[in-house]
Amino acid sequence: MKSKIAGVLVLILVILGGGGYYLYSQNNRTEVLRGYLGGEKTGLFEDEEVQEILKKKYHIEFDYAKAGSLDMVTADHKDMDYLFPSSQTALALYEDQIGDPVQDQIIFNTPIVLYTHQNIKDAFQKQGAVTEENGVFYMDMEKLVQMIMADTQWADIGLKDLYGRISVDTTDPVKSNSGNMFAALLASVLNGGEAVDEQTGEEVLPELKEIYSRLGYMESSSSDIFDQFLKMGIGAKPMIAGYESQILEFAAENPEDYEQLKEDIVMIYPTPTVWSTHVYIALDEQGKKGTEALLDEDVQRLAWEKHGFRTSNYETLEKGGGQAVEELAGEITRVVPVPDYPAMKRIIEGL
Amino acid sequence: MRSEKRKGKAVFALLLAGILLLSGCSSPEGGQSGKDSSKQQSFTAFGSGETIRILSGSENRELEDILKECAKETKVNIEISYQGSVDIMRDLEEGAADYDAVWPASSLWISMGDQQHLVKHTESVSNTPVVFGIRKSLAQELGFVGKEVSVKDLLAAIQEGKMSFCMTSATQSNSGASAYIGFLYALLGKQDAITSEDLDNPQLQQDMTRLLSGIERSSGSSEWLMEMFLEGDYDAMVNYECLIISANQSLEKEGKEPLYVVYPYDGLSIADSPLGYVDHGKEKKEKAFLKIQDYLLSESVQNQIQRTGRRTGYGGVKEENKDIFNPDWGIDTDRTLSTITMPSAEVLTQALNLYQSKLRKPSLTAYCLDFSGSMIGEGNEQLVQAMAQVLLQENAEKNFLQAGERDVNLVITFDDGIIHTYGARDASSASLEELYKAAEEERPGGGTDIYLPAMEALREMKENYDLTQYTPAVILMTDGMSNGSTDIRDFQEFYRREQMDVPVFSIMFGDAQESQLEELAEFTNARVFDGREDLIGAFRSVKGYN
Repeated sequence: MKSKIAGVLVLILVILGGGGYYLYSQNNRTEVLRGYLGGEKTGLFEDEEVQEILKKKYHIEFDYAKAGSLDMVTADHKDMDYLFPSSQTALALYEDQIGDPVQDQIIFNTPIVLYTHQNIKDAFQKQGAVTEENGVFYMDMEKLVQMIMADTQWADIGLKDLYGRISVDTTDPVKSNSGNMFAALLASVLNGGEAVDEQTGEEVLPELKEIYSRLGYMESSSSDIFDQFLKMGIGAKPMIAGYESQILEFAAENPEDYEQLKEDIVMIYPTPTVWSTHVYIALDEQGKKGTEALLDEDVQRLAWEKHGFRTSNYETLEKGGGQAVEELAGEITRVVPVPDYPAMKRIIEGL
Repeated sequence: MRSEKRKGKAVFALLLAGILLLSGCSSPEGGQSGKDSSKQQSFTAFGSGETIRILSGSENRELEDILKECAKETKVNIEISYQGSVDIMRDLEEGAADYDAVWPASSLWISMGDQQHLVKHTESVSNTPVVFGIRKSLAQELGFVGKEVSVKDLLAAIQEGKMSFCMTSATQSNSGASAYIGFLYALLGKQDAITSEDLDNPQLQQDMTRLLSGIERSSGSSEWLMEMFLEGDYDAMVNYECLIISANQSLEKEGKEPLYVVYPYDGLSIADSPLGYVDHGKEKKEKAFLKIQDYLLSESVQNQIQRTGRRTGYGGVKEENKDIFNPDWGIDTDRTLSTITMPSAEVLTQALNLYQSKLRKPSLTAYCLDFSGSMIGEGNEQLVQAMAQVLLQENAEKNFLQAGERDVNLVITFDDGIIHTYGARDASSASLEELYKAAEEERPGGGTDIYLPAMEALREMKENYDLTQYTPAVILMTDGMSNGSTDIRDFQEFYRREQMDVPVFSIMFGDAQESQLEELAEFTNARVFDGREDLIGAFRSVKGYN
């Protein structure tokens, strides 16, 4: 008899426990938001610490497909809750082609930089195109553009091992944001250092096309081109344009590899440079939950410390990836604004 | 795609998994299956687990031991199918529904093919440059040892007939495409990206046609090319540094002369071997994929991969692995490797189409179609459909199978005798469509003799064409089961007497039996394909060997 009672008790406990667990899990259900993400931010979305915060505090999880910032605007949005491109140009393109989004919010920023190898940096320094200030390197974009337009060979600036003309590899400016921003930057430089408008954009387009026609095939993802830069060696990708966040994230996530690589690779800030603004676009009500979560104080902190995106926390340079990357600039002052959408549209269509 | 996950469900799933595990659906450890090990291979983990199906370039066949161990360690089953990288791109364009991961030779093919944004977690596993491997004594003779060599210098040696070479098909494989594009740059004398106008240049087309006519043998994928190279007696091949290393290990073992690696200073390309996940919305697969990828990128496995002659990591080749990268073979890991500028996606596609339709060595193909009684019904339907894929040009173009301007196509229909022999007047769409119509209208019946039409095809070829000007192939499209008046001995006798060197491929249909076809393929250095499983793949493979 006793054992019977015990059995019933166990059964009741199991039922209660199960029911309780069911209720508990109902309150903690995680909603999966699906959307398109620029490749440079996959590290942030894959970060377990970030995922934990999103899940615990906001009950969401981001699922993503990787796409270039401009590509994602024109891609199929069926069943998608958000877009997370890297520029306001992508947002403007969205507004132009589709209409006002449900919600849009700037999450963080990162400047466009150049990545190259020490001996190339040294060669540019000898030419007076690269200068150093407090351990930070700056590339005079006007001089660089002049060299490119004058068909200068790598060998002409003392780099005998490198074959071909001086060039900067970028992602496809028609598909991806870092390439697009760099094209905007080149346009401004060709326009005497002023951001182009529709009129002046038209004027510099032939020269811009000339520069791009030489580049041939271009990657469509900023993360892929950066990875290739790190792994394929100086001959394959002598110099690329990318985001500042990329080296900071790499150094924070792979300290040993960075230690090995930092003798060779170097980050240079173009003068002037442009800011890449990472805007989160909610496509539906579900998507809106992502906005709040990404602005969470801890997510923002991790975005800077582990992934190199400049949020409101970025003045704490001593923390995170910034510590290892010696040539990181404290403040970015020499910046040209990104051209307005009509001018950018002209450039995108022209290239 | 909005999904809600409840923890309760997850717990249940876990329990279920446990029960399944206990009930012991274990397969033999490290077991392998698959009919043709050069096309497909699977590695089974101990116990039940997710299965990841990888579509990979054939160069990764050399990593099979590592993958076998990987399956064991990660408890993830791995199924790997091999294809040329350009083919992988085409599969991705279509959505790669049959695969969970892609692993082509170069990331170019993922970015070009991934129009549906399915690929993520792409990581380069290793890299290796595309190079020329030349018989060492010949390289010395030609002055390529210890000297800077350009693609143009190499082309000059080929054009002057001082060096014969093999390369993979540019429309199928990454190394062939890289070499072809590299040749275009050299012939144009250009550094900047090739343009559409450049490709229209008649002088360029003429030079390129002459160059490609000098190719001794070709293949659909790089590892198969290496195998073919080792079987034959050739001067040089364009291939990956890692496969030249592997070929040299075999050559030296056999006491033969090794190949000397030439890195043209104006560059070919570097294969960065990206392994990417193809997202079909299955979370468990994604986790399983990441396990495999993490395993392959772990330090000790990266070191093992380096020992197969691939460059890995950020720090270059380790001291302890220098023995693999033998400087006596011209291998130089300190050298700055330049790469060619790949043209834009549109120009590249145009260049590949130009190769396929105009510049490559023309093919001479005899299709022998089985119209015997056993083919009635399904078999015949499959056969006619197959001919529509290759002869109707609007279909063929989609798969880079279109006929080149100088290609010759013959169709021989047979049962236990020859029914008809048709030849297309030329390679125009209209003529090929007529050929298709003839096949479509033929009705099956009677017995089967596969040897008679094969001999008839070879006789036609030999009597009417200069075989040195073509890459000839006979393609038997049949269910096998020959029961006619001739047999393999008659065929062998004929083949020897006529001193033929033309491969007799077979594509199987209907209720097919493989044995007789295998026998023919082995005797003529060809292969048997299953047209019921992957017809396009079969055609493309056959064309690649062309």
